[in-house]
Amino acid sequence: MSDKAIIVENLWKGYQLGSGKSGSFRESITNLFSSTKTKKETFWALQDINFSINKGEAVGIIGRNGAGKSTLLKILSRITAPTKGGFELNGRVSSLLEVGTGFHPELTGRENIYLNGTILGMTRAEVKLKFDEIVAFSGIEKFIDTPVKRYSSGMYVRLAFAVAAHLEPEILIVDEVLAVGDAEFQKKCLGKMKDVSNNEGRTVLFVSHDLRAIQFFCNKSILLNNSKVVDFDETSKITSTYLKSMLKVNNFTRNYDGGIKITNVTSELNEHKLEIYLNIKTDKKISFAVDVRLKDSFFIPIGYGTIGTKINQDLITIEEGDTQVILSLLTNDLASGLYYVSIDITNPNIEYYDRLDDVINFELLPLGTKTNKFLNQDWNYGSYQLSVSLK
Amino acid sequence: MTSTTPYTTKVDASDNALALNLKELFRYKDLFWVLAYRDLRVRYAQTFLGLLWALIQPLTTLIIVSVVFGRFVKVETGGVPYPVFAVIGISLWTYFSFVLSQSGGSVIGAQEMVKKIYFPRLVIPLSKAVVGFVDFGVALLLLIGLFFYYRIIPSSNIVFLPLFLILTIISSLAVGIWLSALTIRYRDFQYVVPFFVQFGLYLTPIAYPTDIVVSNLPNWATFLFYLNPMAGIVEGFRWSLLGGTAPMGYFWISIVFVFILFISGLYYFRKIERVMADII
Repeated sequence: MSDKAIIVENLWKGYQLGSGKSGSFRESITNLFSSTKTKKETFWALQDINFSINKGEAVGIIGRNGAGKSTLLKILSRITAPTKGGFELNGRVSSLLEVGTGFHPELTGRENIYLNGTILGMTRAEVKLKFDEIVAFSGIEKFIDTPVKRYSSGMYVRLAFAVAAHLEPEILIVDEVLAVGDAEFQKKCLGKMKDVSNNEGRTVLFVSHDLRAIQFFCNKSILLNNSKVVDFDETSKITSTYLKSMLKVNNFTRNYDGGIKITNVTSELNEHKLEIYLNIKTDKKISFAVDVRLKDSFFIPIGYGTIGTKINQDLITIEEGDTQVILSLLTNDLASGLYYVSIDITNPNIEYYDRLDDVINFELLPLGTKTNKFLNQDWNYGSYQLSVSLK
Repeated sequence: MTSTTPYTTKVDASDNALALNLKELFRYKDLFWVLAYRDLRVRYAQTFLGLLWALIQPLTTLIIVSVVFGRFVKVETGGVPYPVFAVIGISLWTYFSFVLSQSGGSVIGAQEMVKKIYFPRLVIPLSKAVVGFVDFGVALLLLIGLFFYYRIIPSSNIVFLPLFLILTIISSLAVGIWLSALTIRYRDFQYVVPFFVQFGLYLTPIAYPTDIVVSNLPNWATFLFYLNPMAGIVEGFRWSLLGGTAPMGYFWISIVFVFILFISGLYYFRKIERVMADII
């Protein structure tokens, strides 16, 4: 028996562009008799995919929309067949591309557990054995004999996930099913899945846009881009490669269309500070405040700063025409990693003149002892360095 | 797609062999039962009226057919009261048309599932064969009732009845599986099913005996008539209950055709199954 759980070799998946195969009967008949077969273009959703995953590893798949993540999962789940090449899965496989597949609203929670369980590949005997555990995990004991159409969406998801969480495959393939349910339940599910891969030696393949979930869960990750595997490495390395590839051009420009507008934003990162150059155009003399919002690489807001919004602060006043405003932002207390800056110009507490979300970004690299930036976002320490002193 | 050991999955695109993989299908037998149970529960959730409908449909057909063919046309049934003659075909047709129409659109109806998880898709149309038993049972009650009412004792050929019941299931599934796969490929077939059910009732020897067909049509047309997968079965079913001369000749053509249809249907379904999620 090989120690590889998943082996993918030269895998290609092509889709016919155009009307494709699901068409009308007439079309097929016409094709049958016409000598000039219309040559259809093929779109390759996956190109020459090769990788192998050891037993017991939890591997994430990262990539932007359209990179081929879902297609890859669909092929490995055997929902659709590859066009070229193949793969091998050693072990019992369960795939969760959504939770609650096959749930029927008219059936009770109890009946749906059996229905969903058998669809996921369990036998009725296995479901029966786990039944009490599933119900307890879902926390909806009272409603187990009520048709699920009367459930709240939260209850529905809990029940659906409870069934999924009690699968005992050797290989688990998971799509972004965790993007449902309340935060607490999500955490419970992630925890349960992590236990499963750590303690029971289960192999997990996990696709998510939620980089935090992938970091929490997967030691290694595959980066897909334009239908190809770009990299397969430690998750922290893959996420930072991915985030760098996601960077927008760090120079924002737009045409002026009246009122007061930010027409251009550039920035420059020095050792301890970020300088932001704003070009603001207005058709009349005006006073305004500038707000700066900061998010980290997971798009979690981590800070806010302002000129003019706080009480007793002076507003910035500019004359009609084009004016450059330069802001300076200290970066000493930030961990190394990526940051996104959003800029608002406002009439404080009355109206927004202009809002630009995530308009520029910057990356703080680990520089060592001189600054505080040796702290890394990826370490689950967060992005902001606290001042702690001994008393 | 082949499974070498129960838990090793190997998929290779260059492997074009069409294996039916019945072993895997058998592993999903629980899903088969659960899906059938789901359909039954949902269909007969509002119980009393639901079951009553299952009676009303064959009963209405029986009354209309009895009036038109029994009273007006006076079809020769060899001494058997016309309603008894007709109810045999009608009860079989009830089952056949139910399974046909249910399984025909079943995979399309389950597309949300098909796109999200793997299981042998064949389970979906197959499970509809179980669901049809309820309606069939009600129609059979009607049949038994009429036998009692006219005090007719079934012939000793009744020992062959289970055989014909099994053939009915196979025949219904044969057409159902073909239609479910074809419907995915060509949506046109969605419209074909009601058409089949409507005209099939008259093209099948339900309201009239097969002798009329054999003696009034040229050989080639009779041959075509018996390519109807239910033609031979209805004839045989009637023979097993009412006796008479054993069906022969064309009857066997019909039965052989049922098996050809069934096996080819399984293979065609497998072929479509590979691309099902992409084209559904």
